[in-house]
Amino acid sequence: MASLRELQASFAAALRDESSACAVRPRENLSIYRNNAAINFRSALESGFPVLRRRVGDDYFRQLAAQYRQRNPSRSGDLHWVGRDFAAFLAEHLQGTEYAWLADLARLEWSRELAAVAMTRASIGAEVLARFTPEQLEDLVFSLQPSLRLHASDFPIFSIWAANQIDNAPPVDQSLMGECGLVRMRSDYVEVRRLDPFLFSYLSALAAGAPLGEAINTAGLDQDALVHALGFVFTEGLVCAVARARPAPH
Amino acid sequence: MSRLESRGVPSGPIPACAGIGLRAIHHDAIVKDRPSVGWIEAHTENYFHEGGAAARALERARADYPLSLHGVGLGLGSVDGIDREHLARVKRAIARFEPVLVSEHACWGHAGGEFFNDLLPLPYTDEAVEFLAHQVGIAQDVLGTRLLIENVSAYVAFEHSRLHEWEFLAAVAAISGCGLLLDVNNVYVSSRNLGLDARAFIEGLPLDSVGEIHLAGHSCNGGVLIDDHGSHVCEEVWQLYACAIARFGALPTLIEWDTNVPALATLVAESNRADQVLGELRGLAA
Repeated sequence: MASLRELQASFAAALRDESSACAVRPRENLSIYRNNAAINFRSALESGFPVLRRRVGDDYFRQLAAQYRQRNPSRSGDLHWVGRDFAAFLAEHLQGTEYAWLADLARLEWSRELAAVAMTRASIGAEVLARFTPEQLEDLVFSLQPSLRLHASDFPIFSIWAANQIDNAPPVDQSLMGECGLVRMRSDYVEVRRLDPFLFSYLSALAAGAPLGEAINTAGLDQDALVHALGFVFTEGLVCAVARARPAPH
Repeated sequence: MSRLESRGVPSGPIPACAGIGLRAIHHDAIVKDRPSVGWIEAHTENYFHEGGAAARALERARADYPLSLHGVGLGLGSVDGIDREHLARVKRAIARFEPVLVSEHACWGHAGGEFFNDLLPLPYTDEAVEFLAHQVGIAQDVLGTRLLIENVSAYVAFEHSRLHEWEFLAAVAAISGCGLLLDVNNVYVSSRNLGLDARAFIEGLPLDSVGEIHLAGHSCNGGVLIDDHGSHVCEEVWQLYACAIARFGALPTLIEWDTNVPALATLVAESNRADQVLGELRGLAA
Protein backbone atom coordinates (compact mmCIF):
# COMPACT_ATOMS: atom_id res chain seq x y z
CA MET A 1 0.00 0.00 0.00
CA ALA A 2 1.52 3.29 -1.10
CA SER A 3 1.81 5.99 1.56
CA LEU A 4 0.03 9.33 1.37
CA ARG A 5 3.40 10.94 0.69
CA GLU A 6 4.07 8.56 -2.21
CA LEU A 7 0.60 9.12 -3.65
CA GLN A 8 0.92 12.89 -3.54
CA ALA A 9 4.44 12.72 -5.00
CA SER A 10 3.21 10.59 -7.91
CA PHE A 11 0.24 12.92 -8.47
CA ALA A 12 2.52 15.97 -8.43
CA ALA A 13 4.93 14.25 -10.84
CA ALA A 14 2.01 13.49 -13.18
CA LEU A 15 0.98 17.14 -13.09
CA ARG A 16 4.48 18.13 -14.15
CA ASP A 17 4.94 15.34 -16.70
CA GLU A 18 1.99 13.61 -18.31
CA SER A 19 3.99 10.43 -18.94
CA SER A 20 4.62 9.97 -15.22
CA ALA A 21 2.70 7.10 -13.56
CA CYS A 22 -0.12 7.87 -11.14
CA ALA A 23 -2.65 5.41 -9.72
CA VAL A 24 -5.87 7.31 -10.37
CA ARG A 25 -8.88 6.73 -12.57
CA PRO A 26 -9.82 7.95 -15.10
CA ARG A 27 -6.20 8.73 -15.78
CA GLU A 28 -6.95 11.02 -18.71
CA ASN A 29 -8.73 13.42 -16.36
CA LEU A 30 -5.39 14.30 -14.76
CA SER A 31 -5.08 16.73 -17.66
CA ILE A 32 -7.85 18.81 -16.03
CA TYR A 33 -5.69 19.35 -12.95
CA ARG A 34 -2.63 19.92 -15.14
CA ASN A 35 -4.49 22.59 -17.10
CA ASN A 36 -5.99 24.16 -13.98
CA ALA A 37 -2.55 24.65 -12.45
CA ALA A 38 -1.20 26.21 -15.65
CA ILE A 39 -4.26 28.40 -16.22
CA ASN A 40 -4.45 29.62 -12.63
CA PHE A 41 -0.78 30.54 -12.74
CA ARG A 42 -1.10 32.30 -16.09
CA SER A 43 -4.28 34.13 -15.12
CA ALA A 44 -2.56 35.54 -12.05
CA LEU A 45 0.31 36.75 -14.23
CA GLU A 46 -2.12 38.24 -16.74
CA SER A 47 -3.89 40.23 -14.10
CA GLY A 48 -0.57 41.49 -12.71
CA PHE A 49 1.03 42.42 -16.02
CA PRO A 50 -1.77 43.71 -18.27
CA VAL A 51 0.35 46.24 -20.16
CA LEU A 52 3.12 43.75 -20.84
CA ARG A 53 0.54 41.28 -22.13
CA ARG A 54 -1.03 43.92 -24.34
CA ARG A 55 2.37 44.86 -25.72
CA VAL A 56 3.55 41.32 -26.57
CA GLY A 57 0.18 39.77 -27.46
CA ASP A 58 -1.63 36.78 -25.96
CA ASP A 59 0.36 34.05 -27.71
CA TYR A 60 3.81 35.29 -26.72
CA PHE A 61 2.60 36.08 -23.20
CA ARG A 62 1.43 32.46 -22.87
CA GLN A 63 4.85 31.25 -23.98
CA LEU A 64 6.59 33.52 -21.50
CA ALA A 65 4.24 32.47 -18.69
CA ALA A 66 4.86 28.76 -19.39
CA GLN A 67 8.64 29.22 -19.51
CA TYR A 68 8.56 31.34 -16.36
CA ARG A 69 6.47 28.74 -14.50
CA GLN A 70 8.92 26.03 -15.53
CA ARG A 71 11.72 28.01 -13.88
CA ASN A 72 9.75 29.66 -11.08
CA PRO A 73 6.79 27.50 -10.04
CA SER A 74 4.32 28.94 -7.57
CA ARG A 75 5.73 28.93 -4.05
CA SER A 76 2.59 30.04 -2.24
CA GLY A 77 -1.03 29.12 -1.80
CA ASP A 78 -1.73 32.80 -2.45
CA LEU A 79 -1.56 33.37 -6.21
CA HIS A 80 -0.87 37.05 -5.75
CA TRP A 81 2.84 36.29 -5.40
CA VAL A 82 3.45 34.37 -8.63
CA GLY A 83 4.59 37.54 -10.42
CA ARG A 84 7.29 38.35 -7.90
CA ASP A 85 10.21 37.04 -10.00
CA PHE A 86 8.74 37.65 -13.45
CA ALA A 87 10.80 40.78 -14.14
CA ALA A 88 14.04 39.06 -13.12
CA PHE A 89 13.13 36.10 -15.32
CA LEU A 90 12.46 38.39 -18.28
CA ALA A 91 15.71 40.27 -17.71
CA GLU A 92 17.67 37.04 -18.01
CA HIS A 93 15.49 35.52 -20.73
CA LEU A 94 15.57 38.60 -22.96
CA GLN A 95 19.09 39.79 -22.21
CA GLY A 96 20.80 41.12 -25.32
CA THR A 97 17.65 41.07 -27.41
CA GLU A 98 15.68 44.03 -28.67
CA TYR A 99 13.00 43.16 -26.09
CA ALA A 100 15.15 43.71 -23.00
CA TRP A 101 12.92 46.68 -22.11
CA LEU A 102 10.07 44.27 -21.31
CA ALA A 103 11.84 43.39 -18.04
CA ASP A 104 11.71 47.03 -16.94
CA LEU A 105 8.05 47.24 -17.95
CA ALA A 106 7.41 44.13 -15.82
CA ARG A 107 9.23 45.75 -12.87
CA LEU A 108 7.00 48.78 -13.17
CA GLU A 109 3.85 46.66 -13.30
CA TRP A 110 4.93 44.55 -10.33
CA SER A 111 5.51 47.74 -8.36
CA ARG A 112 2.00 48.73 -9.31
CA GLU A 113 0.72 45.42 -7.92
CA LEU A 114 2.57 45.97 -4.64
CA ALA A 115 1.51 49.60 -4.34
CA ALA A 116 -2.14 48.63 -4.86
CA VAL A 117 -2.15 46.55 -1.67
CA ALA A 118 0.27 48.58 0.45
CA MET A 119 -0.90 50.26 3.59
CA THR A 120 -1.67 53.96 3.25
CA ARG A 121 -0.59 56.10 6.19
CA ALA A 122 -1.84 59.58 7.08
CA SER A 123 0.33 62.21 5.45
CA ILE A 124 1.59 65.39 7.10
CA GLY A 125 1.99 68.89 5.71
CA ALA A 126 5.04 71.11 5.33
CA GLU A 127 4.07 73.02 8.48
CA VAL A 128 5.82 70.26 10.42
CA LEU A 129 9.12 71.86 9.36
CA ALA A 130 8.34 74.86 11.57
CA ARG A 131 9.04 72.65 14.58
CA PHE A 132 12.72 72.60 13.69
CA THR A 133 15.37 75.31 13.59
CA PRO A 134 16.86 76.18 10.17
CA GLU A 135 20.10 74.46 11.28
CA GLN A 136 18.25 71.24 12.02
CA LEU A 137 16.50 71.00 8.65
CA GLU A 138 19.36 69.34 6.80
CA ASP A 139 19.45 66.54 9.39
CA LEU A 140 15.79 65.62 8.96
CA VAL A 141 14.87 62.17 7.69
CA PHE A 142 11.48 61.58 6.13
CA SER A 143 9.22 58.54 6.41
CA LEU A 144 7.47 58.26 3.07
CA GLN A 145 4.26 56.48 2.10
CA PRO A 146 4.71 52.68 2.26
CA SER A 147 3.22 52.31 -1.21
CA LEU A 148 5.91 54.50 -2.85
CA ARG A 149 8.09 52.70 -5.39
CA LEU A 150 10.73 54.43 -7.51
CA HIS A 151 11.90 53.29 -10.93
CA ALA A 152 14.67 54.31 -13.29
CA SER A 153 15.08 52.64 -16.67
CA ASP A 154 17.36 53.00 -19.68
CA PHE A 155 14.16 52.80 -21.73
CA PRO A 156 11.18 55.20 -22.01
CA ILE A 157 9.28 52.87 -19.71
CA PHE A 158 6.79 55.36 -18.30
CA SER A 159 5.86 56.53 -21.79
CA ILE A 160 5.43 52.91 -22.89
CA TRP A 161 3.22 52.16 -19.88
CA ALA A 162 1.08 55.27 -20.47
CA ALA A 163 0.71 54.68 -24.21
CA ASN A 164 -0.40 51.09 -23.74
CA GLN A 165 -3.41 51.71 -21.57
CA ILE A 166 -5.41 50.99 -24.71
CA ASP A 167 -5.30 48.04 -27.09
CA ASN A 168 -3.32 48.32 -30.32
CA ALA A 169 -1.40 51.41 -29.26
CA PRO A 170 1.34 52.46 -31.69
CA PRO A 171 4.83 51.44 -30.52
CA VAL A 172 6.77 53.99 -28.50
CA ASP A 173 10.01 55.15 -30.11
CA GLN A 174 12.65 53.07 -28.30
CA SER A 175 15.35 55.54 -29.20
CA LEU A 176 13.88 57.99 -26.71
CA MET A 177 15.87 58.64 -23.55
CA GLY A 178 15.52 56.50 -20.47
CA GLU A 179 12.93 57.57 -17.94
CA CYS A 180 12.42 57.54 -14.22
CA GLY A 181 9.39 58.02 -12.02
CA LEU A 182 7.26 56.82 -9.18
CA VAL A 183 4.44 54.41 -8.44
CA ARG A 184 2.25 55.01 -5.43
CA MET A 185 -1.25 54.40 -4.10
CA ARG A 186 -3.59 57.36 -4.27
CA SER A 187 -6.88 57.26 -2.38
CA ASP A 188 -8.58 55.03 -4.95
CA TYR A 189 -6.09 54.31 -7.71
CA VAL A 190 -2.42 53.57 -8.28
CA GLU A 191 -0.53 56.48 -9.74
CA VAL A 192 2.26 55.85 -12.24
CA ARG A 193 4.12 59.08 -12.87
CA ARG A 194 7.25 60.10 -14.71
CA LEU A 195 9.53 62.43 -12.75
CA ASP A 196 12.23 64.92 -13.55
CA PRO A 197 15.61 63.16 -12.98
CA PHE A 198 16.64 65.66 -10.29
CA LEU A 199 13.41 65.17 -8.40
CA PHE A 200 13.75 61.41 -8.82
CA SER A 201 17.29 61.46 -7.45
CA TYR A 202 16.24 63.55 -4.44
CA LEU A 203 13.21 61.36 -3.75
CA SER A 204 15.30 58.18 -4.08
CA ALA A 205 17.79 59.50 -1.52
CA LEU A 206 15.00 60.41 0.91
CA ALA A 207 13.34 57.02 0.41
CA ALA A 208 16.68 55.34 1.14
CA GLY A 209 16.76 57.15 4.49
CA ALA A 210 19.24 59.89 3.65
CA PRO A 211 18.86 63.13 5.64
CA LEU A 212 17.38 66.07 3.76
CA GLY A 213 20.71 67.86 3.31
CA GLU A 214 22.32 64.78 1.82
CA ALA A 215 19.34 64.18 -0.46
CA ILE A 216 19.60 67.74 -1.75
CA ASN A 217 23.32 67.38 -2.42
CA THR A 218 22.89 64.00 -4.07
CA ALA A 219 20.33 65.43 -6.46
CA GLY A 220 22.38 68.58 -7.06
CA LEU A 221 19.36 70.81 -6.56
CA ASP A 222 19.68 74.57 -6.96
CA GLN A 223 17.59 76.94 -4.86
CA ASP A 224 14.52 76.93 -7.12
CA ALA A 225 14.61 73.17 -7.60
CA LEU A 226 15.02 72.73 -3.86
CA VAL A 227 11.88 74.73 -3.11
CA HIS A 228 9.99 72.72 -5.72
CA ALA A 229 11.33 69.36 -4.48
CA LEU A 230 10.62 70.11 -0.84
CA GLY A 231 7.12 71.27 -1.66
CA PHE A 232 6.54 68.24 -3.89
CA VAL A 233 6.89 65.60 -1.20
CA PHE A 234 4.46 67.43 1.07
CA THR A 235 1.85 68.56 -1.44
CA GLU A 236 1.78 65.08 -2.94
CA GLY A 237 1.04 63.62 0.48
CA LEU A 238 4.18 61.48 0.41
CA VAL A 239 5.49 62.36 3.88
CA CYS A 240 4.14 60.40 6.84
CA ALA A 241 6.63 61.47 9.51
CA VAL A 242 9.71 63.65 9.94
CA ALA A 243 12.42 63.15 12.53
CA ARG A 244 15.98 64.29 13.16
CA ALA A 245 18.61 61.80 12.06
CA ARG A 246 20.52 60.28 14.92
CA PRO A 247 23.75 62.30 15.31
CA ALA A 248 26.79 60.47 14.02
CA PRO A 249 28.99 59.12 16.84
CA HIS A 250 32.20 61.07 17.44
CA MET B 1 -17.17 42.08 23.10
CA SER B 2 -15.36 42.20 19.76
CA ARG B 3 -14.42 45.43 18.00
CA LEU B 4 -17.23 44.93 15.50
CA GLU B 5 -19.84 44.05 18.11
CA SER B 6 -19.02 47.24 19.95
CA ARG B 7 -19.98 49.14 16.79
CA GLY B 8 -23.24 47.24 16.33
CA VAL B 9 -21.95 45.16 13.41
CA PRO B 10 -23.57 41.72 12.81
CA SER B 11 -21.59 39.19 14.82
CA GLY B 12 -23.93 36.36 15.80
CA PRO B 13 -24.00 33.02 14.02
CA ILE B 14 -24.62 33.16 10.29
CA PRO B 15 -28.36 32.88 9.80
CA ALA B 16 -29.79 29.77 8.15
CA CYS B 17 -30.56 31.63 4.96
CA ALA B 18 -28.87 32.35 1.65
CA GLY B 19 -25.73 34.41 1.24
CA ILE B 20 -23.57 35.34 -1.71
CA GLY B 21 -19.88 35.21 -2.47
CA LEU B 22 -18.28 38.65 -2.51
CA ARG B 23 -16.36 39.26 -5.71
CA ALA B 24 -14.22 42.26 -6.60
CA ILE B 25 -16.51 43.54 -9.35
CA HIS B 26 -19.34 43.83 -6.79
CA HIS B 27 -17.35 45.62 -4.09
CA ASP B 28 -18.85 49.03 -4.82
CA ALA B 29 -22.38 47.80 -5.57
CA ILE B 30 -22.71 45.77 -2.39
CA VAL B 31 -21.74 48.73 -0.21
CA LYS B 32 -23.89 51.18 -2.16
CA ASP B 33 -26.99 49.06 -2.82
CA ARG B 34 -26.92 46.83 0.27
CA PRO B 35 -28.77 43.99 -1.45
CA SER B 36 -31.12 41.88 0.61
CA VAL B 37 -28.95 38.83 1.28
CA GLY B 38 -28.45 37.20 4.64
CA TRP B 39 -24.66 37.16 4.70
CA ILE B 40 -21.55 37.28 2.54
CA GLU B 41 -18.59 34.99 2.03
CA ALA B 42 -15.15 36.14 0.89
CA HIS B 43 -12.12 34.17 -0.26
CA THR B 44 -9.65 34.72 2.56
CA GLU B 45 -6.61 34.97 0.29
CA ASN B 46 -8.12 37.94 -1.58
CA TYR B 47 -8.01 39.99 1.62
CA PHE B 48 -4.56 39.17 2.96
CA HIS B 49 -3.06 42.58 2.29
CA GLU B 50 -3.01 45.36 4.82
CA GLY B 51 -3.92 48.06 2.33
CA GLY B 52 -5.75 48.36 -0.94
CA ALA B 53 -9.24 48.74 -2.26
CA ALA B 54 -10.29 45.10 -1.70
CA ALA B 55 -9.58 45.10 2.04
CA ARG B 56 -11.30 48.45 2.46
CA ALA B 57 -14.34 47.21 0.54
CA LEU B 58 -14.60 44.11 2.71
CA GLU B 59 -14.37 46.23 5.86
CA ARG B 60 -17.26 48.36 4.60
CA ALA B 61 -19.35 45.33 3.56
CA ARG B 62 -18.59 43.66 6.89
CA ALA B 63 -20.31 46.54 8.65
CA ASP B 64 -23.58 45.50 6.99
CA TYR B 65 -23.42 41.70 6.75
CA PRO B 66 -22.35 38.67 8.75
CA LEU B 67 -19.17 37.36 7.13
CA SER B 68 -17.78 33.93 6.33
CA LEU B 69 -14.09 33.68 5.35
CA HIS B 70 -13.47 30.82 2.93
CA GLY B 71 -9.87 29.78 2.34
CA VAL B 72 -8.68 28.19 -0.88
CA GLY B 73 -4.91 28.12 -0.37
CA LEU B 74 -3.91 26.19 2.74
CA GLY B 75 -3.96 22.74 1.13
CA LEU B 76 -4.42 21.22 4.57
CA GLY B 77 -3.94 17.66 3.36
CA SER B 78 -0.49 18.30 1.84
CA VAL B 79 2.02 15.91 3.42
CA ASP B 80 4.67 18.63 3.32
CA GLY B 81 2.68 20.37 6.04
CA ILE B 82 0.89 23.64 6.49
CA ASP B 83 2.55 26.79 5.19
CA ARG B 84 2.82 28.57 8.53
CA GLU B 85 3.20 31.99 6.93
CA HIS B 86 -0.04 31.46 5.03
CA LEU B 87 -1.76 30.28 8.20
CA ALA B 88 -0.54 33.38 10.02
CA ARG B 89 -2.08 35.53 7.30
CA VAL B 90 -5.39 33.72 7.72
CA LYS B 91 -5.16 34.42 11.43
CA ARG B 92 -4.55 38.12 10.78
CA ALA B 93 -7.53 38.22 8.39
CA ILE B 94 -9.71 36.64 11.08
CA ALA B 95 -8.56 39.21 13.63
CA ARG B 96 -9.21 42.03 11.22
CA PHE B 97 -12.55 41.07 9.67
CA GLU B 98 -14.02 39.03 12.54
CA PRO B 99 -15.84 36.41 10.44
CA VAL B 100 -18.50 34.31 12.09
CA LEU B 101 -17.57 31.28 9.98
CA VAL B 102 -14.16 30.17 8.71
CA SER B 103 -13.77 27.35 6.21
CA GLU B 104 -11.22 25.47 4.11
CA HIS B 105 -11.13 22.36 1.95
CA ALA B 106 -10.51 18.63 2.32
CA CYS B 107 -7.70 18.66 -0.21
CA TRP B 108 -4.01 19.05 -0.74
CA GLY B 109 -2.24 21.60 -2.91
CA HIS B 110 1.54 21.55 -2.67
CA ALA B 111 4.39 19.08 -2.84
CA GLY B 112 8.15 19.43 -3.05
CA GLY B 113 7.91 23.19 -2.58
CA GLU B 114 5.64 23.68 -5.59
CA PHE B 115 2.11 24.97 -5.09
CA PHE B 116 -0.41 23.93 -7.71
CA ASN B 117 -2.98 26.52 -6.58
CA ASP B 118 -5.80 24.05 -7.01
CA LEU B 119 -7.94 21.88 -4.74
CA LEU B 120 -6.35 18.47 -5.35
CA PRO B 121 -8.17 15.32 -4.26
CA LEU B 122 -6.96 13.10 -1.43
CA PRO B 123 -6.94 9.31 -1.38
CA TYR B 124 -9.67 8.17 1.01
CA THR B 125 -7.55 6.00 3.27
CA ASP B 126 -7.18 5.67 7.03
CA GLU B 127 -3.75 7.30 6.80
CA ALA B 128 -5.22 10.30 5.00
CA VAL B 129 -8.02 10.58 7.59
CA GLU B 130 -5.48 10.68 10.41
CA PHE B 131 -3.23 13.10 8.59
CA LEU B 132 -5.92 15.57 7.51
CA ALA B 133 -7.58 15.47 10.94
CA HIS B 134 -4.20 16.25 12.52
CA GLN B 135 -3.58 19.17 10.15
CA VAL B 136 -7.10 20.54 10.67
CA GLY B 137 -6.46 20.32 14.41
CA ILE B 138 -3.23 22.33 14.04
CA ALA B 139 -5.01 24.97 11.95
CA GLN B 140 -7.88 25.22 14.41
CA ASP B 141 -5.45 25.60 17.32
CA VAL B 142 -3.47 28.33 15.59
CA LEU B 143 -6.53 30.17 14.30
CA GLY B 144 -8.41 29.80 17.56
CA THR B 145 -11.60 28.83 15.80
CA ARG B 146 -13.47 25.77 14.61
CA LEU B 147 -13.19 25.23 10.88
CA LEU B 148 -15.74 23.97 8.41
CA ILE B 149 -14.08 21.64 5.91
CA GLU B 150 -15.52 21.40 2.41
CA ASN B 151 -15.75 18.40 0.09
CA VAL B 152 -14.04 19.18 -3.24
CA SER B 153 -15.02 18.43 -6.82
CA ALA B 154 -13.08 15.51 -8.20
CA TYR B 155 -12.12 14.53 -11.73
CA VAL B 156 -10.15 11.45 -10.69
CA ALA B 157 -10.20 9.00 -7.78
CA PHE B 158 -7.17 7.31 -6.26
CA GLU B 159 -7.14 3.56 -6.81
CA HIS B 160 -5.87 3.27 -3.23
CA SER B 161 -9.04 4.77 -1.71
CA ARG B 162 -10.67 2.38 0.76
CA LEU B 163 -13.39 4.64 2.15
CA HIS B 164 -16.33 6.47 0.66
CA GLU B 165 -15.74 10.22 0.59
CA TRP B 166 -18.50 10.80 3.13
CA GLU B 167 -16.95 8.24 5.48
CA PHE B 168 -13.63 10.00 5.07
CA LEU B 169 -15.13 13.43 5.86
CA ALA B 170 -17.15 12.13 8.79
CA ALA B 171 -14.03 10.56 10.30
CA VAL B 172 -11.97 13.76 9.85
CA ALA B 173 -14.74 15.75 11.55
CA ALA B 174 -15.05 13.25 14.40
CA ILE B 175 -11.29 13.24 15.11
CA SER B 176 -10.53 16.94 14.63
CA GLY B 177 -13.79 18.40 15.93
CA CYS B 178 -14.23 20.43 12.74
CA GLY B 179 -17.57 20.88 11.05
CA LEU B 180 -18.29 20.19 7.39
CA LEU B 181 -19.15 22.52 4.56
CA LEU B 182 -21.29 20.53 2.16
CA ASP B 183 -20.81 21.73 -1.40
CA VAL B 184 -23.78 20.17 -3.17
CA ASN B 185 -22.50 21.08 -6.62
CA ASN B 186 -19.20 19.37 -5.82
CA VAL B 187 -21.07 16.25 -4.74
CA TYR B 188 -22.95 16.29 -8.04
CA VAL B 189 -19.85 16.97 -10.17
CA SER B 190 -17.78 14.25 -8.47
CA SER B 191 -20.59 11.72 -8.60
CA ARG B 192 -21.14 12.28 -12.31
CA ASN B 193 -17.42 12.24 -13.12
CA LEU B 194 -16.63 9.15 -11.05
CA GLY B 195 -19.86 7.20 -11.35
CA LEU B 196 -20.85 7.60 -7.70
CA ASP B 197 -24.21 8.01 -5.97
CA ALA B 198 -24.76 11.66 -4.98
CA ARG B 199 -27.74 10.89 -2.75
CA ALA B 200 -25.80 8.22 -0.90
CA PHE B 201 -23.16 10.87 -0.17
CA ILE B 202 -25.74 13.14 1.43
CA GLU B 203 -27.40 10.27 3.27
CA GLY B 204 -24.01 9.11 4.51
CA LEU B 205 -22.85 12.29 6.26
CA PRO B 206 -23.54 12.46 10.00
CA LEU B 207 -26.62 14.54 10.82
CA ASP B 208 -24.95 17.05 13.08
CA SER B 209 -21.76 17.57 11.08
CA VAL B 210 -22.78 20.08 8.41
CA GLY B 211 -22.61 23.81 9.20
CA GLU B 212 -22.90 25.39 5.78
CA ILE B 213 -23.90 24.53 2.22
CA HIS B 214 -22.43 25.75 -1.05
CA LEU B 215 -24.30 25.89 -4.35
CA ALA B 216 -22.68 26.76 -7.67
CA GLY B 217 -22.82 26.14 -11.38
CA HIS B 218 -20.58 23.89 -13.44
CA SER B 219 -19.84 23.34 -17.11
CA CYS B 220 -19.45 20.22 -19.22
CA ASN B 221 -16.36 19.59 -21.32
CA GLY B 222 -16.19 16.40 -23.35
CA GLY B 223 -18.51 14.60 -20.97
CA VAL B 224 -16.56 15.68 -17.86
CA LEU B 225 -18.29 18.13 -15.50
CA ILE B 226 -16.01 21.02 -14.59
CA ASP B 227 -16.61 22.86 -11.32
CA ASP B 228 -16.08 26.35 -12.72
CA HIS B 229 -18.58 28.36 -10.64
CA GLY B 230 -19.47 30.18 -13.83
CA SER B 231 -23.20 29.73 -14.32
CA HIS B 232 -26.58 29.17 -12.66
CA VAL B 233 -27.05 26.27 -10.27
CA CYS B 234 -28.47 23.42 -12.36
CA GLU B 235 -31.81 21.74 -11.64
CA GLU B 236 -30.22 18.47 -10.52
CA VAL B 237 -28.18 20.35 -7.93
CA TRP B 238 -31.27 22.21 -6.70
CA GLN B 239 -32.95 18.84 -6.21
CA LEU B 240 -29.96 17.49 -4.32
CA TYR B 241 -29.97 20.66 -2.23
CA ALA B 242 -33.60 20.03 -1.27
CA CYS B 243 -32.57 16.50 -0.20
CA ALA B 244 -29.68 17.92 1.82
CA ILE B 245 -31.70 20.44 3.80
CA ALA B 246 -34.47 17.89 4.29
CA ARG B 247 -31.81 15.76 5.99
CA PHE B 248 -29.68 18.39 7.78
CA GLY B 249 -32.29 21.09 8.34
CA ALA B 250 -32.11 24.73 7.25
CA LEU B 251 -28.45 25.80 6.94
CA PRO B 252 -26.59 28.90 5.78
CA THR B 253 -26.43 28.44 2.01
CA LEU B 254 -23.98 30.22 -0.25
CA ILE B 255 -24.33 30.98 -3.93
CA GLU B 256 -20.82 30.83 -5.38
CA TRP B 257 -20.23 32.48 -8.74
CA ASP B 258 -16.54 33.11 -9.41
CA THR B 259 -16.09 33.09 -13.19
CA ASN B 260 -18.21 34.89 -15.78
CA VAL B 261 -19.45 36.77 -12.73
CA PRO B 262 -22.91 38.21 -13.48
CA ALA B 263 -24.54 41.41 -12.30
CA LEU B 264 -25.13 41.52 -8.57
CA ALA B 265 -28.88 41.35 -9.17
CA THR B 266 -28.49 37.94 -10.85
CA LEU B 267 -26.53 36.64 -7.89
CA VAL B 268 -29.13 37.97 -5.48
CA ALA B 269 -31.93 36.36 -7.52
CA GLU B 270 -30.12 33.02 -7.32
CA SER B 271 -29.82 33.41 -3.55
CA ASN B 272 -33.54 34.22 -3.40
CA ARG B 273 -34.23 30.82 -4.93
CA ALA B 274 -32.19 29.15 -2.18
CA ASP B 275 -34.17 31.14 0.37
CA GLN B 276 -37.36 29.94 -1.29
CA VAL B 277 -36.28 26.30 -0.94
CA LEU B 278 -35.38 26.95 2.69
CA GLY B 279 -38.77 28.63 3.19
CA GLU B 280 -40.58 25.62 1.73
CA LEU B 281 -38.71 23.38 4.16
CA ARG B 282 -39.76 25.58 7.07
CA GLY B 283 -43.34 25.52 5.76
CA LEU B 284 -43.30 21.73 5.77
CA ALA B 285 -41.87 21.69 9.26
CA ALA B 286 -44.49 24.14 10.60
